[in-house]
Amino acid sequence: MRMPARGTTALLTLALAASLAGTAGIAGAESSRHGDQADHGKNGKIKNVIYLLGDGMGRTHVTAARTRYYGADGHLVMESLPAVGQVSTYAVQQGSGQPGSSDFAPNYVTDSASAATAWSSGVKTYNAALGVDAKGNVVPTLMEYAKQAGLRTGNVSTAEITDATPAGQMSHVLLRGCQGPTYSASACQNPTLTGGALPTSDVRVTPVADQIARNGTADVILGGGLSRFDAADESALEAQGYDVLGSPATQTVATKTDLAGTSAPKVFGLFNKGNLTIEKYKRENPSSVQAQEPTVADMTAKAISLLSSGKKGFYLQVEGALIDKRSHANDAAQTLEEIKAFDEAVRVARDFARRDGHTLVIVTADHECAGFNIIEKGTFTNAEATTPPANTDGGNTANNSTPSRPSGGAKDPVRSTGPVNGSGAGDPKNFAPATFRTADDPAGVVDGSPDASLWLTYLSGNHTGADVPVFAYGPGSDELEGSIDNTDLFDIVGGALGLTD
Amino acid sequence: MRSILLALALALVAGAGVACSDRSGTDDSGTRPVAAVDPLTAAKTSFPGLEPARPGDLPLGLDTASPAPGTVAVVPGPFDDRFVLRGVRLADGVVSGRLTVTSDVSDLLELEVVAGFYDADGRLLTTAKAVHHLDEAVASHEEGPPDETAPFRIAVPRRLLDRVASAAITVPVLVNE
Ligand SMILES: [Zn+2]
Repeated sequence: MRMPARGTTALLTLALAASLAGTAGIAGAESSRHGDQADHGKNGKIKNVIYLLGDGMGRTHVTAARTRYYGADGHLVMESLPAVGQVSTYAVQQGSGQPGSSDFAPNYVTDSASAATAWSSGVKTYNAALGVDAKGNVVPTLMEYAKQAGLRTGNVSTAEITDATPAGQMSHVLLRGCQGPTYSASACQNPTLTGGALPTSDVRVTPVADQIARNGTADVILGGGLSRFDAADESALEAQGYDVLGSPATQTVATKTDLAGTSAPKVFGLFNKGNLTIEKYKRENPSSVQAQEPTVADMTAKAISLLSSGKKGFYLQVEGALIDKRSHANDAAQTLEEIKAFDEAVRVARDFARRDGHTLVIVTADHECAGFNIIEKGTFTNAEATTPPANTDGGNTANNSTPSRPSGGAKDPVRSTGPVNGSGAGDPKNFAPATFRTADDPAGVVDGSPDASLWLTYLSGNHTGADVPVFAYGPGSDELEGSIDNTDLFDIVGGALGLTD
Repeated sequence: MRSILLALALALVAGAGVACSDRSGTDDSGTRPVAAVDPLTAAKTSFPGLEPARPGDLPLGLDTASPAPGTVAVVPGPFDDRFVLRGVRLADGVVSGRLTVTSDVSDLLELEVVAGFYDADGRLLTTAKAVHHLDEAVASHEEGPPDETAPFRIAVPRRLLDRVASAAITVPVLVNE
């Protein structure tokens, strides 16, 4: 299903732009790293894979964050990685066969569960399924393969660790809502698929937290979601030799100080009862409990240092989860700040890979969220117009259609009262763009003003079916170039680590 | 390629003694060459020492709560820092109220509000629950941002209507997308 790699020209252009960038942000520094990659980055034998994903991070998310923080000619770290491709993300209907089979039934917009199962287990499945195919069969995950092969394994997320993306590597459930701490028939059973309730001893209806605490699939588990775990889980973790930071039994969250203090080979640390806290809140409330949570970059650095001691190499997954969660909320300001925080984790991984020479770094997303768009400064969207343009067609067989916007249209002052991150933010009927100052703007231009140069809009509060970008560094990274499917990521990573063939 | 993997997955399921809902339409021929691992045993499907859930288990605390007549107590649960309750009351044989999730702005996937009903001496008579379950296989998203408020109504069983004097509620299940 893979298509030939291309994009070398684009890459050269990118490198050139970077080298011309001069003073803005990190761009100047990034340009030299392509040369570094050319020297040795692609040639080593692969021992380790660091797989990072921004949940809900579409191509426009990356562009918007780059523009916001580094200006038009800057780069995020992920954009400095030399191999670039794009990933199709579609899911399938419940009961569907795999692509090519007679009962194949696609669903064009995936959720995080189906997407995680695609790269973790190499199969298309239905939205909400984790570690099972679309017919409900258990499918092993790459992290389980890696564990069995004696590699060190890690799973890091800014979401609850039982949430779909991290859970996709270390659990098997019919429904992603079966997270724990308690079993619930409505959350765990899928009788339309299985023809009735499964016994509660079946892994597929066993809460994800119970599975994670007992299956030993990840040696290093860092994230949120302490509420999902209880005293029995803590005992089970300790019996397997985990250093449990904080305490599920007493619901005491771990802190970044706890994380810094451990050097155990197996570590379980959850830093919030729910999802970890957005960076903006921690920045503005430095004495809060939440400010004691590590960043995704902190967790990535620690996980690498704990995992890289093994002789056989390691497989680490890192999720920047709040990009998606803030995109659902159409909260552009915090979406962008979370992309930057995620990019700092990419920097940690890339820097390790440069030193190590045997590490493949992959940066991608599971799906796009909310139809994020950059519109021209001063313009407005169809959703803001007095009358959204009709989709008319003159019926001309030469396809010389009547323009769908026969006149310039007009902005409706009721539907668009101003930038949504400024004075109009409190109005849910306000379809206006969120505006942000960038590194290119003169001093004095502020976020949320019409003068700010970056104008961002959302299509919806839900996922979209757009392809997502993939960036890669290190030996084997050219495998990621071109157009691939999310199930191909299973083959690429499995092949790189010698787990699959 | 995928059908080969599926065949392995089926073998795995069979080996683990896990029930399989549908074995039709798959290809049993061939095996996928795997370098370092055995796909038949890689997936972790059993957990020695884990007591399987008993579906009738009561949420902790409802059995020991003893709310005063005319009141509705809220028994602590694992997710109390993720929502606010408003308008909780016991009237006309129904406990009702509204729960608003404050921790997320995404689809509410799972929610269970469990109510205990008590007699005038504070003895637990029975329990009942309100369940919100978003079936992603058939769900069509509503327009715009998800609604984080879930109203709930839990009725006292008819046979106990004249004995119920108070109630308690707790939230043991809450999952957002
Ligand atoms: Zn999402």
